[in-house]
Amino acid sequence: MFDIHLLLSGFSAITSIEVFPFLVLGSLLGIVVGAIPGLTATMAIALLIPFTFSMNPISGIVMLLAIYAGGIYAGGIASILIRTPGTPAAAATLLDGYPMAQKGEAGRAIGIATISSGIGGLFSACALTLFAPLLATLALRFSAPEYFALAVFGLTVTMSLAGNSPLRGFTSVLIGLAVGLIGIDPIGGFPRLTFGLPELSGGFNFVAVMIGLFSLSEAFRQIEQMGTLPPVPPAVRNVLPRLGEILGMWKVYLRSCIYGLIVGVAPGVGAETSSFLSYAETKRTSKDPSRFGKGAPEGVAAAQAAENGSTGGDLLPMLTLGVPGDAATAVLMGALTIHNLQPGPLLFQERPDLVHQIFAGMISANITFVIIGLLGARLFAKVVQIDRRVLVPLVCLLSLVGAYAIDNNPFDVWVTLGFGVIGWLMQRNGFPVSPLVLAVILGGMMESNLRRSLVMGLGSPTVFLDRPIALVILALAGLTLVGVLRRLRKPESGLAVAG
Amino acid sequence: MTLTRRTFVSSALLTSAFVGGSTKMSLAADFPSRDITMIVPWAAGGGTDALGRTLTKNAKQYIGVNVPVVNRPGGTGVAGMQAVAQAKPDGYTVGLVTFHLSSYRLTGVSTLSYQDFEPIMLLNRSPTGFLVKADSPFKELKDLVEYAKQNPGVVTVATSGAGAVPHLSAALLAKQLGLKFTFVPFDGGAPARTAVLGGHVTLLAVNSEEALQFYKTKQLRFLALNSKERHSSFPDVPTVAEAGYPLDVLLLDWRGLAAPKGTPPEVLATLRTGFKKMAEDPEYKRLMDEMALPRADAEGDQFRVFLEQIEQALEPALAETGLLKKS
Repeated sequence: MFDIHLLLSGFSAITSIEVFPFLVLGSLLGIVVGAIPGLTATMAIALLIPFTFSMNPISGIVMLLAIYAGGIYAGGIASILIRTPGTPAAAATLLDGYPMAQKGEAGRAIGIATISSGIGGLFSACALTLFAPLLATLALRFSAPEYFALAVFGLTVTMSLAGNSPLRGFTSVLIGLAVGLIGIDPIGGFPRLTFGLPELSGGFNFVAVMIGLFSLSEAFRQIEQMGTLPPVPPAVRNVLPRLGEILGMWKVYLRSCIYGLIVGVAPGVGAETSSFLSYAETKRTSKDPSRFGKGAPEGVAAAQAAENGSTGGDLLPMLTLGVPGDAATAVLMGALTIHNLQPGPLLFQERPDLVHQIFAGMISANITFVIIGLLGARLFAKVVQIDRRVLVPLVCLLSLVGAYAIDNNPFDVWVTLGFGVIGWLMQRNGFPVSPLVLAVILGGMMESNLRRSLVMGLGSPTVFLDRPIALVILALAGLTLVGVLRRLRKPESGLAVAG
Repeated sequence: MTLTRRTFVSSALLTSAFVGGSTKMSLAADFPSRDITMIVPWAAGGGTDALGRTLTKNAKQYIGVNVPVVNRPGGTGVAGMQAVAQAKPDGYTVGLVTFHLSSYRLTGVSTLSYQDFEPIMLLNRSPTGFLVKADSPFKELKDLVEYAKQNPGVVTVATSGAGAVPHLSAALLAKQLGLKFTFVPFDGGAPARTAVLGGHVTLLAVNSEEALQFYKTKQLRFLALNSKERHSSFPDVPTVAEAGYPLDVLLLDWRGLAAPKGTPPEVLATLRTGFKKMAEDPEYKRLMDEMALPRADAEGDQFRVFLEQIEQALEPALAETGLLKKS
C-alpha cells in the first residue's frame, strides 16, 4: 500500500503555494483553539468545515489535519498555565505541567510539552504512513473483550495516580464509576439514574465534568487562599529543552509512543485515554514516583507524547475502516464525506494519491506545530505572571463559557459548577480527582464491553479465554493490581497529593 | 407648518405604530430577512450532520439567506430537538429531526413527539440491511433462517444500538419467523460493522448505507434489505420479501426537517419551498446518492402521516424487545 513516489508527490503538493499557507494557518488556529479551555480541536474542525467547501479538497483537508494535530498539542498549554485542560486529552499534562509552571518553569514545561507532542505525533504519523493496512488488521482483531480488558488495565493503572493514599484513590475511582452509570444504559437502552430528566439521558457531558473537577476547583482553592499564596516566580528564560534532557527520556518516549499508537488504533478510544495511561505507567515504573505531581518533566513528556502519539492511530481506523478513532476524527470523517471522499477501504483503492497526501499532511502538521509552539512558548508563559486577582476570575469565566460551548447547552454549565465544588471539596480532603476523571472515561467503556462480550459469548465468561489479546491485557492488569495491593498494606503516610 | 415638538413626537409615534403594524402584517412577505438557524441534534461529523451541512451549503441561492448549522447533541438527541420545539415559532429556527423523535414517548425517555413540531419535509428514509462477513457459510437469508431455527439463540446480531431501527427490524423478523437472535448492541453503525468484519459477531443489522463500501469491496455480503423495493445502490440485493419472507410490518429510519409548533403557515410555506429547492440541488443529490441515502420527499401533511404510521409500527417492535415503557 505504501508508495514512496506517491508520498513524495504528496509532500510536493503540500509544499505548493496553494496548500502550504493553509497548513500554517491550520496549525496556528489549532494552537489557539486548543489552548483555550472549552474550545476543542473537534469544535474548530466542525466550525471550519463550511469554509473548506470552496477550497480544493487537499488544501481543506490539510488545514483540518493541522488544526487537529495543533489542537491536541496545544491543549497542554492551558493545562500547564492555568490547570485547565484546553482539550480533554490534555488533562494528564496538568498533573506535572501546572506544578512546573507554579515553580516558575512555565516556559520549560511548554518547551518539553511541545517537543514531546512533536515526537509522539511524528511517530504515529510515520506508523500510519508505513503500516496502515497492517494496523487496520490489528484494529479488526479488537472487539468487545479486548476493549473490556483495556479498560480494566486502565483502571488498575489509575490506582498509581492516587498519590500516597491508595484508599482515597480507590474512593475516587468508585465515584467516577458511579458518575459513569448515569444515562441511558448502553446495552439495554433503559434510562438509568436520570430522575426523569431528559438532560441526563446521555449522562453527564464528560468535558463539562472535567473542566469543573480540574479548573474550577483550582480556581475555588485560589480564591479561598487569595492573599496567602506566594506569587509565582518569574519564568526562566530558557524554553528550548536541552538535547540531553530529551534523549535522557527515551524510555518515556518509547513507551508513550507505543501506548499512544495502540490506544489510537483501537477504534473509539482516543488521546484522553492514552495520555493518562502513559502518564500513570511512567509514574509507576519511575525510580522515584514521589516526584510526580510536583513538577516532574517526565510526567509532562509522557502525557504529551502519548496524546499526540494517538493522532495518527486515531486517523487509521477512520481512513481504512470508516470507524472514527475519537471525536475529532469523527468530525474529520464528516469533512471528507462532504468533500465527496468517503473514508473506508475504497478510498485506498480509488484515491491512493489523496491518501498519501493525507499521510504527508499529517507528518508536516506535526513539524509545523512544533516550530510555532517553540516560537510562541515564551509569550504563552507570560500568562502565569498575571495577577491572581485578575487571572482567577478569568479562569472561572473561561471554564463556564467553555462548558456552555461544548454543546451549546446551558445544563452543562451547571454540571461544571457542580463538579467544581465536588473537585474543590475532594482535593481539600486529600482525594485525588484524576482517578475520578479516568473512571468516568473508562467505566462506561468497561461496562458496555463486558456486557457486549458476555452477550457475544452467549452468556459464558469463557469468551475471554479464547482471545489471546484480551488475555494478555487482563494478565497485565492483574500484575498491576498486585503491585497496588502491596502498597495498600503499607500504612498510609499523610495526605495524598491532590492531582 | 412649523414642526412643534409635540407634533413631531406624535407623528413619530404614529409612524412607528404604522411601521410596527405593517411589519406584523407583512411578516410572511418579508420572511426571511435574516439567517435561519438549523439545529442538528447530533454531533458534528456524523451522517446527519453531513446531510444538514450539505443541504444548506447553497441555501442563499434558494431561500435568500444563509442557513448556518448549529449542533446541539446530548441526551440521545433530546437536547437538540427540545431546543427546536421550544424556539420562537417565527421560522428562524428549524431542526433536523430524526427517527429518535418517534421513540422518545414510547420508551419513556422524554415526552417530546412529532406533535410538538410543524413538519416541513421528510429528507430521507433508510431501510435496514442484513449482512454477513464475506467468508460466512450463510449465502442467502434462507440459510441463516434455517440455521437459526435449529439453533435458537446462537446467531449473534450486531446492531447500531438498542432501540435503533435495525435492532427493532431484526427483532420483528425474528418474532414473525419464530427465531431467537442474540442481540449485541454497539454505539453506532460503524463499530457494529467492524465487529462483523472482524468475525466477532455473525449477522450485521445496520442502515443499508453504512455497508456501502464493504459491499463494494466484497468484504461484507448482503443477505437481504428490509424494504418494499430494491435499493439503487445495491441493485443485486433482494428485499426480505424477495428472499422468501414477506414481513407484516416495515420499519424505516428517517430524517426530516421540522419547525417549532405554531410557526405561521405562510412562513412554513416559504420554508417548504426553500428547502425543497435545496433538496433539488445537484450537489446535495449527488452526495445523498454517493452515501447511498435514499432521498424522500414527503412534505407537510404527508410527512405527518408518515410519522403517525411509524409510531404505530414502533409500538409492537418496542414491546417485542422489552423497551416499551408500560404506562
